[in-house]
Amino acid sequence: MAGMVFIPGAMFDQGSPPAALDWLLRQDQPLPRSWFADETPQRPATLGPYRIDRYPVTVAQFREFTRATGFRTDAEDRGFGLVYDEQGWVERAGVHWREPGGPGTAGAAGDDHPVVHTSWRDASAYAQWAGKRLPTETEWEYAARGATFRLWPWGDDWDDKRANTAELHAVGGLTTLEDWQQWWHALCRRDGPLPQTTSVGSFSPQGDSPFGCADMAGNVYEWTSTLSYLYDEATVCDPTVRKAMGSYRVIRGGSWMNFRYQVRCSERMHGDPLGWSSFAHGFRCAQDA
Amino acid sequence: MVRIVVPSVWNPERRTDFEADEGPLPEVIRRFAEANPVMRRRLLDAGGEPLQYVNVCVDDELIPRHLRRATVVPAGATVTIIAPMAGG
Repeated sequence: MAGMVFIPGAMFDQGSPPAALDWLLRQDQPLPRSWFADETPQRPATLGPYRIDRYPVTVAQFREFTRATGFRTDAEDRGFGLVYDEQGWVERAGVHWREPGGPGTAGAAGDDHPVVHTSWRDASAYAQWAGKRLPTETEWEYAARGATFRLWPWGDDWDDKRANTAELHAVGGLTTLEDWQQWWHALCRRDGPLPQTTSVGSFSPQGDSPFGCADMAGNVYEWTSTLSYLYDEATVCDPTVRKAMGSYRVIRGGSWMNFRYQVRCSERMHGDPLGWSSFAHGFRCAQDA
Repeated sequence: MVRIVVPSVWNPERRTDFEADEGPLPEVIRRFAEANPVMRRRLLDAGGEPLQYVNVCVDDELIPRHLRRATVVPAGATVTIIAPMAGG
Protein backbone atom coordinates (compact mmCIF):
# COMPACT_ATOMS: atom_id res chain seq x y z
CA MET A 1 0.00 0.00 0.00
CA ALA A 2 1.53 3.31 -1.06
CA GLY A 3 2.52 5.53 1.80
CA MET A 4 2.21 2.80 4.39
CA VAL A 5 4.92 1.02 6.35
CA PHE A 6 4.70 -2.71 7.02
CA ILE A 7 5.25 -3.58 10.67
CA PRO A 8 5.83 -7.25 11.48
CA GLY A 9 4.02 -8.77 14.43
CA ALA A 10 5.80 -8.42 17.73
CA MET A 11 5.76 -8.75 21.49
CA PHE A 12 7.02 -5.79 23.48
CA ASP A 13 6.60 -3.94 26.74
CA GLN A 14 4.26 -1.02 26.12
CA GLY A 15 4.60 2.09 28.26
CA SER A 16 7.36 3.65 30.31
CA PRO A 17 9.62 1.97 32.86
CA PRO A 18 9.90 3.65 36.29
CA ALA A 19 13.31 5.00 35.28
CA ALA A 20 11.66 7.14 32.59
CA LEU A 21 9.46 8.85 35.18
CA ASP A 22 12.47 9.28 37.47
CA TRP A 23 14.22 10.96 34.55
CA LEU A 24 11.26 13.26 33.92
CA LEU A 25 11.30 14.46 37.51
CA ARG A 26 14.99 15.33 37.21
CA GLN A 27 14.36 17.49 34.14
CA ASP A 28 13.56 21.19 33.93
CA GLN A 29 9.82 20.61 33.62
CA PRO A 30 7.15 21.48 36.19
CA LEU A 31 4.70 18.58 35.98
CA PRO A 32 4.34 16.09 38.86
CA ARG A 33 4.91 12.34 38.67
CA SER A 34 1.18 11.63 38.95
CA TRP A 35 0.62 13.52 35.69
CA PHE A 36 2.71 10.95 33.80
CA ALA A 37 1.68 7.89 35.84
CA ASP A 38 -0.85 6.70 33.25
CA GLU A 39 2.05 5.60 31.01
CA THR A 40 3.15 3.14 33.72
CA PRO A 41 3.61 0.34 34.56
CA GLN A 42 4.86 -1.25 31.39
CA ARG A 43 2.53 -3.96 30.14
CA PRO A 44 3.38 -6.85 27.83
CA ALA A 45 1.70 -6.35 24.46
CA THR A 46 1.34 -8.64 21.46
CA LEU A 47 0.75 -7.35 17.96
CA GLY A 48 -0.08 -9.09 14.71
CA PRO A 49 1.46 -7.71 11.52
CA TYR A 50 -0.04 -4.42 10.35
CA ARG A 51 0.58 -1.41 8.16
CA ILE A 52 0.61 2.16 9.34
CA ASP A 53 0.76 5.43 7.41
CA ARG A 54 4.25 6.79 7.12
CA TYR A 55 2.87 10.31 7.56
CA PRO A 56 -0.13 11.95 9.21
CA VAL A 57 -3.07 12.50 6.85
CA THR A 58 -2.53 15.72 4.94
CA VAL A 59 -4.79 18.63 4.01
CA ALA A 60 -4.79 17.44 0.38
CA GLN A 61 -5.76 13.89 1.33
CA PHE A 62 -8.55 15.10 3.58
CA ARG A 63 -9.82 17.42 0.85
CA GLU A 64 -10.01 14.48 -1.55
CA PHE A 65 -12.12 12.65 1.03
CA THR A 66 -14.55 15.53 1.50
CA ARG A 67 -14.87 16.04 -2.25
CA ALA A 68 -15.63 12.36 -2.79
CA THR A 69 -18.13 12.04 0.03
CA GLY A 70 -19.46 15.49 0.90
CA PHE A 71 -18.34 14.85 4.47
CA ARG A 72 -18.52 17.77 6.89
CA THR A 73 -16.42 17.77 10.02
CA ASP A 74 -17.82 18.32 13.49
CA ALA A 75 -16.22 21.78 13.59
CA GLU A 76 -17.86 22.72 10.27
CA ASP A 77 -21.25 21.50 11.45
CA ARG A 78 -21.24 23.34 14.76
CA GLY A 79 -19.76 26.51 13.24
CA PHE A 80 -16.73 26.99 15.46
CA GLY A 81 -13.38 25.43 16.33
CA LEU A 82 -10.84 25.59 19.11
CA VAL A 83 -7.66 27.65 18.85
CA TYR A 84 -5.21 28.91 21.44
CA ASP A 85 -4.96 32.69 21.36
CA GLU A 86 -3.33 35.18 23.69
CA GLN A 87 -5.95 34.47 26.36
CA GLY A 88 -5.77 30.68 26.12
CA TRP A 89 -8.05 28.10 24.45
CA VAL A 90 -11.04 29.74 22.82
CA GLU A 91 -13.85 28.59 20.53
CA ARG A 92 -13.89 30.80 17.46
CA ALA A 93 -16.57 31.07 14.82
CA GLY A 94 -15.64 29.83 11.36
CA VAL A 95 -12.63 27.79 12.49
CA HIS A 96 -12.29 24.35 10.89
CA TRP A 97 -9.85 22.34 8.79
CA ARG A 98 -10.23 24.51 5.69
CA GLU A 99 -9.65 27.73 7.64
CA PRO A 100 -7.61 26.60 10.61
CA GLY A 101 -7.20 30.05 12.16
CA GLY A 102 -10.66 31.29 11.23
CA PRO A 103 -12.20 33.08 8.23
CA GLY A 104 -9.54 34.27 5.80
CA THR A 105 -6.91 31.72 6.80
CA ALA A 106 -7.52 29.14 4.08
CA GLY A 107 -4.13 28.18 2.71
CA ALA A 108 -2.35 29.09 5.93
CA ALA A 109 -1.18 25.50 6.00
CA GLY A 110 -0.01 23.92 2.75
CA ASP A 111 -1.58 20.90 1.13
CA ASP A 112 1.23 18.73 2.41
CA HIS A 113 0.74 19.76 6.04
CA PRO A 114 -1.20 17.49 8.38
CA VAL A 115 -4.90 18.27 8.44
CA VAL A 116 -6.06 19.72 11.79
CA HIS A 117 -9.39 20.42 13.49
CA THR A 118 -10.31 16.77 13.08
CA SER A 119 -12.38 15.13 15.79
CA TRP A 120 -12.24 11.43 16.57
CA ARG A 121 -15.38 10.94 14.49
CA ASP A 122 -13.87 12.89 11.57
CA ALA A 123 -10.67 10.84 11.71
CA SER A 124 -12.56 7.56 11.92
CA ALA A 125 -14.76 8.52 8.95
CA TYR A 126 -11.73 9.36 6.82
CA ALA A 127 -10.04 6.08 7.75
CA GLN A 128 -13.11 4.07 6.80
CA TRP A 129 -13.40 5.86 3.46
CA ALA A 130 -9.72 5.15 2.76
CA GLY A 131 -10.22 1.43 3.49
CA LYS A 132 -8.16 1.76 6.62
CA ARG A 133 -8.75 2.35 10.34
CA LEU A 134 -7.20 4.36 13.14
CA PRO A 135 -4.23 2.61 14.76
CA THR A 136 -4.58 1.26 18.27
CA GLU A 137 -2.32 3.03 20.71
CA THR A 138 -0.27 -0.17 21.00
CA GLU A 139 0.30 -0.16 17.24
CA TRP A 140 1.11 3.54 17.35
CA GLU A 141 3.70 3.18 20.11
CA TYR A 142 5.38 0.17 18.54
CA ALA A 143 5.61 1.94 15.17
CA ALA A 144 7.14 4.94 16.94
CA ARG A 145 9.88 3.17 18.85
CA GLY A 146 10.17 -0.53 18.00
CA ALA A 147 10.69 -3.26 20.57
CA THR A 148 13.35 -1.47 22.60
CA PHE A 149 12.26 1.37 24.85
CA ARG A 150 13.43 4.78 23.71
CA LEU A 151 12.28 8.25 24.60
CA TRP A 152 11.90 9.59 21.08
CA PRO A 153 11.59 7.88 17.69
CA TRP A 154 15.28 8.36 16.91
CA GLY A 155 16.66 7.51 20.36
CA ASP A 156 17.19 8.89 23.85
CA ASP A 157 19.05 12.10 23.03
CA TRP A 158 16.84 15.11 22.43
CA ASP A 159 17.50 17.13 19.28
CA ASP A 160 15.11 20.00 18.58
CA LYS A 161 15.96 19.82 14.85
CA ARG A 162 14.41 16.36 14.51
CA ALA A 163 10.79 17.19 15.29
CA ASN A 164 8.23 19.95 15.02
CA THR A 165 7.78 21.04 18.62
CA ALA A 166 7.61 24.46 20.22
CA GLU A 167 11.32 24.09 20.92
CA LEU A 168 12.01 24.20 17.18
CA HIS A 169 10.24 27.47 16.51
CA ALA A 170 11.56 30.02 18.93
CA VAL A 171 14.86 31.69 18.21
CA GLY A 172 17.14 30.90 21.12
CA GLY A 173 15.02 27.93 22.20
CA LEU A 174 12.32 27.45 24.78
CA THR A 175 12.66 25.85 28.17
CA THR A 176 9.93 27.33 30.37
CA LEU A 177 6.20 27.91 30.17
CA GLU A 178 6.87 31.64 30.45
CA ASP A 179 9.19 31.43 27.41
CA TRP A 180 6.49 29.53 25.58
CA GLN A 181 3.82 32.11 26.34
CA GLN A 182 6.09 34.94 25.26
CA TRP A 183 6.85 33.20 21.99
CA TRP A 184 3.22 32.34 21.32
CA HIS A 185 1.86 35.75 22.21
CA ALA A 186 4.33 37.38 19.81
CA LEU A 187 3.26 35.01 17.04
CA CYS A 188 -0.43 35.60 17.75
CA ARG A 189 0.00 39.35 17.66
CA ARG A 190 1.70 39.06 14.29
CA ASP A 191 -0.32 36.33 12.53
CA GLY A 192 -3.26 35.37 14.73
CA PRO A 193 -3.66 31.87 16.16
CA LEU A 194 -2.44 29.82 13.21
CA PRO A 195 -1.28 26.22 13.53
CA GLN A 196 2.49 25.94 13.29
CA THR A 197 2.41 22.62 11.46
CA THR A 198 5.13 21.64 9.01
CA SER A 199 5.00 19.64 5.78
CA VAL A 200 4.84 15.95 6.62
CA GLY A 201 8.24 14.33 6.39
CA SER A 202 10.11 17.59 6.93
CA PHE A 203 12.28 15.90 9.55
CA SER A 204 13.00 12.69 7.64
CA PRO A 205 15.06 10.69 7.87
CA GLN A 206 16.73 12.06 11.00
CA GLY A 207 13.48 12.27 12.96
CA ASP A 208 12.01 8.96 11.77
CA SER A 209 11.16 5.94 13.88
CA PRO A 210 13.08 2.64 13.50
CA PHE A 211 10.41 1.60 10.96
CA GLY A 212 10.70 4.80 8.95
CA CYS A 213 7.51 6.45 10.22
CA ALA A 214 7.75 10.24 10.18
CA ASP A 215 6.34 12.97 12.42
CA MET A 216 5.65 10.62 15.32
CA ALA A 217 7.13 13.19 17.70
CA GLY A 218 5.31 16.50 17.41
CA ASN A 219 3.68 18.22 14.41
CA VAL A 220 0.11 17.14 15.27
CA TYR A 221 -1.49 15.21 18.13
CA GLU A 222 -2.75 11.94 16.67
CA TRP A 223 -5.99 10.17 17.52
CA THR A 224 -5.92 6.41 18.07
CA SER A 225 -8.83 3.97 18.17
CA THR A 226 -8.10 2.98 21.77
CA LEU A 227 -10.63 3.74 24.47
CA SER A 228 -8.67 5.26 27.34
CA TYR A 229 -7.80 2.87 30.16
CA LEU A 230 -5.13 2.53 32.82
CA TYR A 231 -2.41 -0.03 32.26
CA ASP A 232 -2.95 -0.96 35.92
CA GLU A 233 -6.08 0.03 37.83
CA ALA A 234 -3.96 0.45 40.96
CA THR A 235 -1.95 3.26 39.38
CA VAL A 236 -2.13 6.49 41.35
CA CYS A 237 -2.64 9.21 38.76
CA ASP A 238 -4.30 12.59 38.44
CA PRO A 239 -7.98 12.16 39.43
CA THR A 240 -9.27 13.99 36.36
CA VAL A 241 -7.18 11.78 34.07
CA ARG A 242 -8.62 8.74 35.83
CA LYS A 243 -12.10 10.12 35.29
CA ALA A 244 -11.46 10.23 31.53
CA MET A 245 -10.84 6.49 31.44
CA GLY A 246 -13.55 4.55 29.66
CA SER A 247 -14.93 7.55 27.78
CA TYR A 248 -12.03 9.43 26.15
CA ARG A 249 -9.82 8.08 23.33
CA VAL A 250 -6.04 7.87 23.53
CA ILE A 251 -4.03 10.53 21.70
CA ARG A 252 -0.34 10.03 20.92
CA GLY A 253 2.71 11.88 19.68
CA GLY A 254 2.29 15.40 21.05
CA SER A 255 2.29 18.38 18.72
CA TRP A 256 3.99 21.56 17.58
CA MET A 257 2.63 23.19 20.74
CA ASN A 258 4.62 20.95 23.08
CA PHE A 259 8.04 20.68 24.65
CA ARG A 260 10.17 17.54 24.32
CA TYR A 261 8.52 15.85 27.29
CA GLN A 262 5.09 15.65 25.68
CA VAL A 263 6.31 14.18 22.38
CA ARG A 264 7.88 11.03 23.84
CA CYS A 265 6.94 7.69 22.26
CA SER A 266 5.25 6.43 25.43
CA GLU A 267 3.50 9.64 26.38
CA ARG A 268 -0.29 9.28 26.63
CA MET A 269 -2.96 11.93 26.31
CA HIS A 270 -6.69 11.36 26.32
CA GLY A 271 -9.10 13.28 24.10
CA ASP A 272 -12.84 13.92 24.29
CA PRO A 273 -14.17 11.90 21.32
CA LEU A 274 -17.58 13.62 21.17
CA GLY A 275 -16.82 16.13 18.43
CA TRP A 276 -13.95 17.99 20.05
CA SER A 277 -10.87 18.96 18.04
CA SER A 278 -8.33 21.76 17.87
CA PHE A 279 -5.85 23.42 15.56
CA ALA A 280 -3.19 20.94 16.66
CA HIS A 281 -5.11 17.66 16.29
CA GLY A 282 -4.75 15.31 13.34
CA PHE A 283 -4.30 11.60 12.77
CA ARG A 284 -2.75 8.85 10.67
CA CYS A 285 -4.29 5.53 9.63
CA ALA A 286 -3.42 1.85 9.94
CA GLN A 287 -4.52 -1.37 8.30
CA ASP A 288 -4.32 -5.09 9.01
CA ALA A 289 -1.57 -6.79 7.00
CA MET B 1 -20.87 21.94 50.40
CA VAL B 2 -19.75 20.18 47.23
CA ARG B 3 -16.36 18.76 46.36
CA ILE B 4 -14.63 20.18 43.26
CA VAL B 5 -11.90 18.12 41.60
CA VAL B 6 -9.59 19.79 39.07
CA PRO B 7 -6.42 18.71 37.21
CA SER B 8 -3.39 18.89 39.47
CA VAL B 9 -1.49 20.96 36.93
CA TRP B 10 -3.99 23.82 37.05
CA ASN B 11 -2.51 25.37 40.18
CA PRO B 12 1.04 25.72 41.47
CA GLU B 13 0.25 23.80 44.66
CA ARG B 14 -0.75 20.76 42.56
CA ARG B 15 -3.94 20.60 44.57
CA THR B 16 -6.85 18.62 43.11
CA ASP B 17 -9.56 18.80 45.78
CA PHE B 18 -11.52 21.92 46.74
CA GLU B 19 -14.84 22.76 48.33
CA ALA B 20 -17.57 25.09 47.13
CA ASP B 21 -21.18 25.88 47.87
CA GLU B 22 -23.89 23.82 46.21
CA GLY B 23 -26.27 25.35 43.65
CA PRO B 24 -26.87 25.60 39.90
CA LEU B 25 -23.88 24.12 38.05
CA PRO B 26 -22.85 27.29 36.16
CA GLU B 27 -22.98 29.24 39.43
CA VAL B 28 -20.93 26.63 41.27
CA ILE B 29 -18.24 26.81 38.58
CA ARG B 30 -18.34 30.60 38.39
CA ARG B 31 -18.02 31.05 42.16
CA PHE B 32 -15.25 28.48 42.34
CA ALA B 33 -13.32 30.22 39.56
CA GLU B 34 -13.70 33.63 41.13
CA ALA B 35 -12.51 32.26 44.48
CA ASN B 36 -9.50 30.65 42.80
CA PRO B 37 -8.27 33.22 40.26
CA VAL B 38 -5.23 31.16 39.27
CA MET B 39 -7.67 28.78 37.55
CA ARG B 40 -10.13 31.36 36.28
CA ARG B 41 -9.01 31.42 32.65
CA ARG B 42 -9.27 27.64 32.48
CA LEU B 43 -12.90 27.72 33.61
CA LEU B 44 -14.47 30.98 32.46
CA ASP B 45 -14.47 32.91 29.21
CA ALA B 46 -13.72 36.61 28.92
CA GLY B 47 -17.36 37.37 29.74
CA GLY B 48 -17.27 35.30 32.92
CA GLU B 49 -19.28 32.38 31.55
CA PRO B 50 -18.16 28.76 32.09
CA LEU B 51 -16.16 27.49 29.11
CA GLN B 52 -18.25 25.01 27.20
CA TYR B 53 -15.44 22.84 25.86
CA VAL B 54 -14.34 21.88 29.37
CA ASN B 55 -16.14 18.72 30.43
CA VAL B 56 -17.96 18.51 33.73
CA CYS B 57 -19.01 15.43 35.68
CA VAL B 58 -21.39 15.58 38.61
CA ASP B 59 -20.55 12.48 40.59
CA ASP B 60 -20.23 9.88 37.82
CA GLU B 61 -22.42 11.59 35.25
CA LEU B 62 -20.90 13.57 32.38
CA ILE B 63 -23.13 16.62 31.90
CA PRO B 64 -23.58 17.53 28.22
CA ARG B 65 -23.26 21.18 27.25
CA HIS B 66 -26.94 21.68 26.64
CA LEU B 67 -27.90 20.37 30.09
CA ARG B 68 -25.43 22.34 32.19
CA ARG B 69 -27.63 25.41 32.71
CA ALA B 70 -30.42 23.26 34.08
CA THR B 71 -28.22 21.10 36.31
CA VAL B 72 -28.26 21.71 40.04
CA VAL B 73 -25.40 20.36 42.14
CA PRO B 74 -26.74 19.05 45.45
CA ALA B 75 -24.84 19.20 48.73
CA GLY B 76 -22.44 16.28 49.08
CA ALA B 77 -21.92 15.86 45.32
CA THR B 78 -18.55 15.85 43.57
CA VAL B 79 -17.97 18.02 40.51
CA THR B 80 -15.03 16.84 38.43
CA ILE B 81 -13.60 19.16 35.79
CA ILE B 82 -12.01 17.28 32.89
CA ALA B 83 -10.07 19.10 30.20
CA PRO B 84 -11.03 18.05 26.66
CA MET B 85 -7.50 16.70 26.42
CA ALA B 86 -6.55 15.06 29.70
CA GLY B 87 -3.03 14.17 30.73
CA GLY B 88 0.13 14.85 28.85
